Amino acid sequence: MSDGVQDPETTGPWAWAARAARLIMGKAAPALGLVLLFIYFGATTDRFLSPNNQIATTVQIAVVALLAIGETFVIVSGGIDLSVGSVLALSGVVTALLLSEDHFNQPVIVGVAAGIGVGALCGLINGLLVTKAKLPPFIVTLGMMGICRGFAKIPTDGQTIAGLPDAFNALGADRIFGNTIPIPIVILAVVALVSFFVLRYTRLGRYCYAMGSNWEAARLSGVNVNAHMTAVFVICGTLAGLAGVVQTARLGIGQPTGGIAYELDSIAAAVIGGASLMGGIGTISGTMLGAFIMAELRNGCDLKNVSTHWQEVVIGAAIVFAVLLDRIRQK
Amino acid sequence: MRRLACVMMVLVVLGVLGCQPKTVDNPDTGPIAIPGGGETTDAAPPAGEQYSIAIVPKGTTHSFWKTVRAGAEAACAEAGAEALWKGPTDETDVARQIAIIENFITSEVDALVMAACDAKALIPKVKQALEAGIPVITIDSGISSDDALSFVATDNVEGARLVGAKLGELIGGEGKVGCIPFIKGAATSDMREEGFIKGIEEFSGIELVSTLYSQGDIEEAMKATENMLTANPDLKGIFAANEPGVIGAARVIEQRDLADQVVLVGFDAAEAEIEGLESGVIQALAVQNPYQMGYLGVQAAIDAIEGADVEKRIDTGVVIVTPENLQDDDVQTLLNPDLGEE
Repeated sequence: MSDGVQDPETTGPWAWAARAARLIMGKAAPALGLVLLFIYFGATTDRFLSPNNQIATTVQIAVVALLAIGETFVIVSGGIDLSVGSVLALSGVVTALLLSEDHFNQPVIVGVAAGIGVGALCGLINGLLVTKAKLPPFIVTLGMMGICRGFAKIPTDGQTIAGLPDAFNALGADRIFGNTIPIPIVILAVVALVSFFVLRYTRLGRYCYAMGSNWEAARLSGVNVNAHMTAVFVICGTLAGLAGVVQTARLGIGQPTGGIAYELDSIAAAVIGGASLMGGIGTISGTMLGAFIMAELRNGCDLKNVSTHWQEVVIGAAIVFAVLLDRIRQK
Repeated sequence: MRRLACVMMVLVVLGVLGCQPKTVDNPDTGPIAIPGGGETTDAAPPAGEQYSIAIVPKGTTHSFWKTVRAGAEAACAEAGAEALWKGPTDETDVARQIAIIENFITSEVDALVMAACDAKALIPKVKQALEAGIPVITIDSGISSDDALSFVATDNVEGARLVGAKLGELIGGEGKVGCIPFIKGAATSDMREEGFIKGIEEFSGIELVSTLYSQGDIEEAMKATENMLTANPDLKGIFAANEPGVIGAARVIEQRDLADQVVLVGFDAAEAEIEGLESGVIQALAVQNPYQMGYLGVQAAIDAIEGADVEKRIDTGVVIVTPENLQDDDVQTLLNPDLGEE
């Protein structure tokens, strides 16, 4: 961030240490945190490092990580999306209703497409309300959070939806590539790679940083801020829809009460990964690290049988700590 | 500044990690939540091999689950087994419960005793555990397949029928009543709703006018009760299907000073519910035996590990507790089981 700033330490005998410290305090902090977690849990539990455990942990975080990737686009652009957890539930319910043999009994592809489509639609509405109606993203998506949650509960009166075809449930559990990698991980990997590329190298991605750093400056420089911000919300909604489909396949049921507080987990992942809620700062790789830090913390604590309540304390502390680190670095 | 910050960071990281080993020596297996933690039940000497038994409740905050825990830990202590207690904080958090069970399977526990947050979503995890050679016993809330080796629970339909009949009797066999189950689709909630309806069907003059779900939350239960009473000012009775539901309904009845007009019956026996029974806001409680669920659940698990036959269905029964029989010895034993607290 502050590479251009002259610092007496960079020329003194402490130059190396200062540079290392800056790296540790900076972009390397989340990665270092993850490495420390691996060392600690790897040394103190038997099975933390086993491939099966790590695969299971990755599946456990895949849904939140998908949300967090979408959330990163929005946060980098200077917005926030509180609706992703509810959009996930609504998408899952729509998918489950279409596929369930007790309901519409449609082909798998129809349910999956509809689920993702519902997410994209919610994102589009969010985006238009933010850009055209000039409402604050916090308010728009807070409203959408309630609307989607309500719509998710209406069709079945809040009841879970079962009777999903095996071919669909396979999306949440089956392993491919020689029966090694579960499908949710493959989906996550593809989405993460594409998103990494889009945010870092494409025009849309660079505009995200521009809008998030200085909305007016971006607008005055000729960036079509409305169109791009809407696109950003559509990306976030689409990924929430996809996450809803994956979650439904993993649970084997459509759950109208699913995904509660996932928006907070996804924001936390982005923040732990170095994103700034003020906009303009954040990366997909950072967010993925953030999501993994949370997942490994939960998994490691589970294996060590640390109570769920203490886990909440530890993860909460990690969030505050990540931002604290960021603040110290910027001084 | 940067050097200082760097040192600070290292200290904080060490601090956070440094807290953990304490929890290892003193895992969260104390009998019931004692503030400050500390007590453990692994005092009993391991008889031969020490089994580690994972107990996964639907939630961890209700006193119901704390009593299940006490029973489970007592059974573990008797058998010299290690009790590993962990569940989602929120009873609707199916995804978290699945993750917890996956992590226990990874840990290669010797047996899994669990109450399913969702009757269908947990089936694949039960199968996965069984495939990994881990016997699975369900308690309180089962799964909608035949995979678990045993289901140790209250006959909820029968319990709710009994308390429904009691409500009918208390309101003189006629009038409007409301029902507050917790989560539609959760097996226990559905069965109690069904049982309650059976109970009041014995009285032709009783009409069920409203069914609102509490989501297992006191706040939601209060809203449900308020709405029910607003829509039906002549409501004569309410059945709430679990602890938060009863507590929420009781609070509203108390606030509106309706204890003389509305008969409240329900399930469970949390401290606040017993107080309600004593103060006259609550007239009858179907009390399950969560201690037995934990205790018999773990016993069944140990039998299964050792290859003994396990009964497919173990009923832990209910007792209808009223202000009249509250002080009876057997009721008091049920309400105040030995939780192993010093």
